Amino acid sequence: MTYLIRTNRLTKVYGGKEVVSEVSMHVKKGEIYGFLGSNGAGKTTIMKLITNLIKPTNGYIEIFGETLTHKSYEVLKRMGTIIEYPIFHENLTAKEILDLHCEYMGYYDKKEIDQVLDLVNLSHTEGKPVGDFSLGMKQRLGIARAIITKPELLILDEPINGLDPSGIKEIRDLLKMLCKEYGITILISSHILGEMEQIADTIGVIHNGRLISELAMSDVKLSQIDYIEMIVDDGKKAAFILEDKLAIVNYKLVEDHCIRIYESKITQNTISRALMEQNVEIKEISMKKNSLEDYFLKLINGGEMSA
Amino acid sequence: MPNLMRLEMKKYKLFSYIKGAIIANIIIAGLLVAMLFIAKVEGDLFLTNYTEAITIIDTIVRATFIIFAASLISKLIIGEFKNKTITTLFLYPINRKKLITAKLAIVILFTFCSIILSNVFLTIVFSSVTNYFDLIPGTLSITMVTQHTPSMLMNAIAASGMCLIPLYFGMKKYSASTTIISSILIVMIVSSNSGNFSLNDIIIIPISLAIIGISIAYFAIRNIEKTDLKC
Repeated sequence: MTYLIRTNRLTKVYGGKEVVSEVSMHVKKGEIYGFLGSNGAGKTTIMKLITNLIKPTNGYIEIFGETLTHKSYEVLKRMGTIIEYPIFHENLTAKEILDLHCEYMGYYDKKEIDQVLDLVNLSHTEGKPVGDFSLGMKQRLGIARAIITKPELLILDEPINGLDPSGIKEIRDLLKMLCKEYGITILISSHILGEMEQIADTIGVIHNGRLISELAMSDVKLSQIDYIEMIVDDGKKAAFILEDKLAIVNYKLVEDHCIRIYESKITQNTISRALMEQNVEIKEISMKKNSLEDYFLKLINGGEMSA
Repeated sequence: MPNLMRLEMKKYKLFSYIKGAIIANIIIAGLLVAMLFIAKVEGDLFLTNYTEAITIIDTIVRATFIIFAASLISKLIIGEFKNKTITTLFLYPINRKKLITAKLAIVILFTFCSIILSNVFLTIVFSSVTNYFDLIPGTLSITMVTQHTPSMLMNAIAASGMCLIPLYFGMKKYSASTTIISSILIVMIVSSNSGNFSLNDIIIIPISLAIIGISIAYFAIRNIEKTDLKC
């Protein structure tokens, strides 16, 4: 397996506080890697470390197969980035900004400028200084700037911030296209779970500066099992009936009165009939879906306890 | 390096600064001429000969362009940090030392060239006006000019060095006003003139200020690759 980015026990200390601690993450070539974490979890700091804007206190970063040092300028040529939020010289127009960007990057295919502005729906902004752009437009321009040189790696920090729903979809489709058609590896961060779910191949969950989980999206989806939840007056008796009469073993007594049944074949009807026959009162019974959100909240809470 | 400087100029549309320098020159010329005429009307000959005039022109020009340099520094360097645009710049595959050096080079070159060119321009204006209206006895001779040239060059070089001192104060809190104010203080030190004597005449003062300016620039660049970008 080729990793485009690999960090080893990456640690960053700011003013005596560890904002990133011992993060060992692995981004495969050609995948979309989603960084998920609440605000202030350390996503941006890790991205700044990877792009060499700040230096690790401990640990190291391997990118494009070489270890990052303070002299690693060449790797920057192969990256497109948005860190924190897109920043521009606000008195310039979108075209001027992209033009300057290409020159600094050593990329001389100026025809791309119009194409990429078209791609992010900004071709109508001719002559308008970026200072007058809305947040969403700036975000689009930031993405345009990141992708114009067709880099091998895109590092996008919260790229959908400030976009409207249709804009989010456009950008999502665009990123997926770039990943698929051009084989661009994308490291993207967000605190919006639903977004990650739709775009990422691998998810890294960050909490309090720690990478508490790194898993393939396909695995996450598998672990989302449906279950039946019911509230009864006597949980113990109900549990006995489930095992004895219905031969259900895959259940969990959550509290004294709440039972979750993870057997997918059995219907609610069968269960309630069996319980009623034995005089167990059912106060509530419903089908539940273990959402991705629950899954990650659980992960994050787990991480908090161990931290 | 010339390419990086060209990109900086393009980014900041620095040609407007050239316009600014020209306007400054016109204002200084107007001021000089006005002073001459008022002096004549009042019968108070504050300028008695050309040597004195040339020195005064040089002092005013240096004062103007040291402050001008501070505004360039605050735009090209302090502003980049303050507005965080430096992040974008440091994400380019270009040596950070070179990026900052290019900016400083623009400031130094701009200051040096403006001081020289303004001196030439204002001396020409001054001497033609005085000649035409016969305001100062005698004419500006070639000998006077050649005698003055080395000291003007030295002063211009010193000013180009000391104009970097505000960088130190400006970078403390990324403040444009601090940058400008510190440049005004420097001007007050070297350009104030009391009874035909200024601190600039003690040769060690402009030279050490220039060395301080260059060292400040050097220390600003020295560790830029190894330290975290704070902004």
